[in-house]
Amino acid sequence: MEYLYSILILVGIYVVLASSFNLIIGTAGLVSIAHPIFFALGAYTAGLLAIHFGLNPFAAAAVGAVVAGVFSLMISLPSLRVSGDYLLITSIGFQLGLLQVIKNLELTGSQGGLNNIPTPIAGPERGWIFSAVSLAAAAATVLVIRWIVRGPYGRAIRAMRDDELAFLALGRDATRMKIMIFAVGCAFAGMAGAIYAFYFQYVSPEQFEILASGTMLTMVVVGGMGSTWGPVVGAVLLLALPQAITFLRLPLAYMAPLQGMIFTLLVILFLFLRPQGLVAPEAPSPVRARRK
Amino acid sequence: MDSRAAMLDPAVLAQILWTGLATSSYMVLFTIAFALVLKVLKLWNFAQAGMMAIAFYVMYAAVNHFNWPTAAAVALGFAATLAATLAYEVLGLRTLRARRSSSLLFFIFTLVCSEFTAYALTLIFGTEPVPLFPEILSPTRIVGSVAVSNWDLLAVCVTLVLGIALALYLRLSRDGQFLLAVSDSAELAELYGIDAKRAYVVALTIASVFACAGMYLYGSRTAVIPTAPLQLMLFAVIATLLGGMGSVVGAILAAVFLSLLQSYSVLIIPSQWQGLILYVFLFVTILFFPNGIHPGALLRRLGLA
Repeated sequence: MEYLYSILILVGIYVVLASSFNLIIGTAGLVSIAHPIFFALGAYTAGLLAIHFGLNPFAAAAVGAVVAGVFSLMISLPSLRVSGDYLLITSIGFQLGLLQVIKNLELTGSQGGLNNIPTPIAGPERGWIFSAVSLAAAAATVLVIRWIVRGPYGRAIRAMRDDELAFLALGRDATRMKIMIFAVGCAFAGMAGAIYAFYFQYVSPEQFEILASGTMLTMVVVGGMGSTWGPVVGAVLLLALPQAITFLRLPLAYMAPLQGMIFTLLVILFLFLRPQGLVAPEAPSPVRARRK
Repeated sequence: MDSRAAMLDPAVLAQILWTGLATSSYMVLFTIAFALVLKVLKLWNFAQAGMMAIAFYVMYAAVNHFNWPTAAAVALGFAATLAATLAYEVLGLRTLRARRSSSLLFFIFTLVCSEFTAYALTLIFGTEPVPLFPEILSPTRIVGSVAVSNWDLLAVCVTLVLGIALALYLRLSRDGQFLLAVSDSAELAELYGIDAKRAYVVALTIASVFACAGMYLYGSRTAVIPTAPLQLMLFAVIATLLGGMGSVVGAILAAVFLSLLQSYSVLIIPSQWQGLILYVFLFVTILFFPNGIHPGALLRRLGLA
């Protein structure tokens, strides 16, 4: 049963990650792959606050989300004032640079990772309470993002993504909008990190390397970039896939690379055969179009 | 002599300079490959990390599993890299270009190709670091007060020969001129009858040569894991940014400068923090020199010219 709960918790966490990554990359068209580092920032912040200050987990998660959002400004402010391409390069540099810091700081547990994060709940109820919190966080994230994307602000984001020049000609501030969307997406990742830290009670730097970006990218591309429900489908499907591979009973050394190969191959196949993903982005309905 | 004075000893500084220059050789080769593809194809070719990994592991398998002589192993490594690169161009990039795909899809494709290669090589070769040859130390001689190894000489010579050959090829050959024309404007070049697709293939072929040579030098001195080329490629990306996008010469100078900076940093920065210098430079470049550092413009900005 504990195994099932841990899968449900991971589903919730990855739905938050994939949906918020989709907001950045799919809806706003911002090219960044550093989402795992914001996940890490939330996890480490919440873990450290719980270890050293005994902070309430909800408050620690909120601080984790804020820290991730604020750190996102370190990337977006310098790079987005120049061009979108720079966001990609800066994000990779930021991810690898910050991981280097985490690996060398005693405070963050160095290479060995941060362990002994206190769990807020003990006993047999722990699994289902964490599952409920994780799935509730996922539902809240999807609904908030859906609300943003379907509203006037969402239409403005898509207009900016599709034709930035025309958007600027209308007197709108594209850079400010990109910075805002990037910060919101990263804050959600920080919140997911806090849930991860409190449930697993251990985080280590190698969980957040560039290859972790590939997993999130796969969920978004396979699910459907730019669609609200696509990343949800992608996250569930790609978390189910490794469970299916376990039936092959391969040695552990083969499992991780095989899973990675399947994920990346799926992205390549979807890019060429079904670029819209499993769930295509919703077209604006005629009624909504008239209201515009 | 205390340790600080010993660090400022001219002999120590000269040794760091020479070792830094020799170490910069493979970084320069990776940077040339990256900068050339960016210049001609207008593509941030993150798949270069995959090319580099294929080059290394094919050479490694040929030398260590099949006992091939070095020259044959290098030739096989290059052939395999070139085959993978051409498949990547013909089956992947051309399709995306034909569909007029967004830069986001190009980026995802190049990155995922690299990751797929890293996973495939991990599955085959594992995560244990392996050098190209069982022995990574090469004979050393003292020149003046500087220790110069055979590897240092080979690295500097290979880089110089390939760099000069590329410069001559771009300046003197017809295909080289076509590459420059396509890098200025592919559409305009095609109007003049230049085959842009061919230019792209030529640029990727040259990039394969440089990636393969760089991995030979790197792998003959350091043990490699399948994800190592991703980190090496980031150096090339930063050097390309610092040198000014579109300027291969600027990228080469930036690569040498960054390598030397990392080498000299041993004097003041603990070794575990040296990797951070690169990322600090990335931020400084993007904050203050988003179009790269052009020496003339920098001097003008500082009021020195």
